[in-house]
Amino acid sequence: MKISTKSIAQGTLVAIDGRIDTTNYNEFEQAVNQLFEEKVTAIYLDCSKLNYISSSGLRVFLTIQKKMMGTGGKFLLFAMQPTIKEIFDISGFSTIFNIYDTEEAALQN
Amino acid sequence: MRTKSLSFKIIIRILFFTILLGAAIFSTYYYYTRSEIERSTRENAVFLADNTIKMIEEIIKPAEMIPNNLSWMLETGAIPKDSIMPFLAKLVKNNPIIYASAIAFEPGMFAPNVAAYAPYAYRNGEKIETINLWSPDYNYFIMDWYQIPAMLKESYWTEPYYDEGGADALLSTYSVPFYLNKGGERVLGGIITIDISLEWLTEIVRSVKIFETGYAFLISRTGVYVTHPDPNNIMNQTIFTRAKELEEPELRDIGRNMIHGVSDLTSIDLKTLGYVWIYHTQMPTTKWSLGVVYPHNEMFAGLHKLNFTIILLSFIGLGLLLFFTIRIINRQISPLAKFAASARGIASGDFNTELPHIENSEEMKELHDSFAFMQKELADYIVHLKETTSAKEKIESELRIAKEIQMGMIPHIFPPFPDMPEIDLYATLLSAKEVGGDLYDFFLLDDNRMCFAIGDVSGKGIPASLFMAVTRTLLRSVADKEKSTAEIVSSINKTLSFNNESNMFVTFFLGILDIQKGELKYCNAGHNPPILIKNKKDVSYFNITKAIPVGLFESYEYTEESIRIALDDQIFLYTDGLTEAEDVNNALFGDDLLLQVISQHAAASPREIIEATTQAVANHVKGHTQSDDLTMMSISYYGTTRA
Repeated sequence: MKISTKSIAQGTLVAIDGRIDTTNYNEFEQAVNQLFEEKVTAIYLDCSKLNYISSSGLRVFLTIQKKMMGTGGKFLLFAMQPTIKEIFDISGFSTIFNIYDTEEAALQN
Repeated sequence: MRTKSLSFKIIIRILFFTILLGAAIFSTYYYYTRSEIERSTRENAVFLADNTIKMIEEIIKPAEMIPNNLSWMLETGAIPKDSIMPFLAKLVKNNPIIYASAIAFEPGMFAPNVAAYAPYAYRNGEKIETINLWSPDYNYFIMDWYQIPAMLKESYWTEPYYDEGGADALLSTYSVPFYLNKGGERVLGGIITIDISLEWLTEIVRSVKIFETGYAFLISRTGVYVTHPDPNNIMNQTIFTRAKELEEPELRDIGRNMIHGVSDLTSIDLKTLGYVWIYHTQMPTTKWSLGVVYPHNEMFAGLHKLNFTIILLSFIGLGLLLFFTIRIINRQISPLAKFAASARGIASGDFNTELPHIENSEEMKELHDSFAFMQKELADYIVHLKETTSAKEKIESELRIAKEIQMGMIPHIFPPFPDMPEIDLYATLLSAKEVGGDLYDFFLLDDNRMCFAIGDVSGKGIPASLFMAVTRTLLRSVADKEKSTAEIVSSINKTLSFNNESNMFVTFFLGILDIQKGELKYCNAGHNPPILIKNKKDVSYFNITKAIPVGLFESYEYTEESIRIALDDQIFLYTDGLTEAEDVNNALFGDDLLLQVISQHAAASPREIIEATTQAVANHVKGHTQSDDLTMMSISYYGTTRA
């Protein structure tokens, strides 16, 4: 898994390349905590290269979502692969998260 | 074969190279010295022979002058013929080297009527006697001393001869022709002779000493020994007879060269003396030849003696070198044996083994320090290892107990309701680690209704297992026959969400089956949809309303759904450990394959279906490590008719 972050006008763009599973979700968690320390108010998560996510990874997503909801910030996900989208749908997470089909759609909100 | 010790190897190498070096130096020295000795011996031989000849010539040359002068005196008539006899007597008397002297006249040359006349003066003790040599018994004209110089018309030294009865000594006669004026012509007048004793010559040659057994010898023009260390050979042997007698053909060649007046240095292996060098050269006056003999052994005797001393000293030196090398090496490496003993001590677990005390070697000190460091590190490491091992063992044993407790929390007696023929149920739970976050449960709410649930806590291991235990406990405490599935799930969610800082969550499916009516009411909180098998052949996923897992938002409202279950229908529930089981290439088992497997075993009992599915998953992952907890539960509904 590779995590890259980039500051943009609307906030921070985070792209994940690879898998988030039980062996590496804590790396992802640390990267996210780093962003919180920097008082980021909006995270745009590029899921186009996210191949797999385990429930441990979903928990980190939830942490971000709850934190952002608590501080009035934004957490937007976009360009999910169908298999990942399915996981979100089955677990009902699609109703919790702000998921967009494309980067442009996400950045407009 | 035993490996040789280090000291042995070092010593052998030192010895080898020292001997090699010594041998090289010694050989160079030996051959250089040897050739130097040969060169100086050669020079010495030539010098010695020449010098000896010079000494002899210094005596002979003045002697030769006497008859030469006499011949001139006779020719010029300086000596009156009547005073010849007293003159000769005087001459012999005044020259101690001369034993006798004669003036032998040609026929008619002394006086016209005298056919033969040879006045002769000789020593007889202290007196000088004079006689006429000629007598009818002694025709001097045919004697060598007369005939040869008369014919050659030049002076001549006779072969040495032993004058018995007269001088009783070894003599040689020097003959010189003289000329007289007869009728205006210069004609041969006769022969003047002097007889010279060769005793002094023998003395000179005999006095030549070369090393121990070397010597000088003189041979005449015919090869007769004039002088020789062995007196028996003098006048009795020629060099040629002796060569034949001794069977030394090379000596004959040397003799030949000598009588031909050749000066040469040759070497010859003699039976009597061994290997010798012979230098020979000719005396210019008598044409006799002098030889000097250098025994080879004795030439190098000094060198050999020196060699012996050097070799002896070398051996003593080598011995000392060996002794001190062994001492030094043993002293230097003796700590190694002690180190080896210490290492064995350490290896056998005694970390306080004493190390050898090192004082004088930097390398050994370094080794000592490394050893001491290793000793300390090992001791520390072992202590640490013991601590971590016991801690690990403790954790493992605790985990084992935790697993037992966790497994004790889920029912695992099958069939669960032996007196309820309407229902057959089977379930398995395989944790990826000792303890896991999956759960299933089933129990009767009353005689007619069975409550069942399956859930999956986010993550794995101890945190998930704790959350699972809480969830399962909540389920048992919350569920009662008065509540709907949605109410039960909402209640669990509310409790779990409260103060859930870690954001852990549970996907949860809860169902309540009315056994009489065949009605299934259920609530799904983000869990994978179960599979419904109708008529033992048609398989399909449940249609479920999307809802989030429990534990996230305490105010979330879950909804209940219901379907009708017919006779022989079966409900198959599972966690994502099944559909997301991965093979080595991370390929998932997947929903489609699951549906296919279930379809193939649609008529099987719950236990058979679960076993078949377990086998299918095993075939898919092919030994790849199980990455997630895997739980399956299947419920077959036979309805009331079977009762």
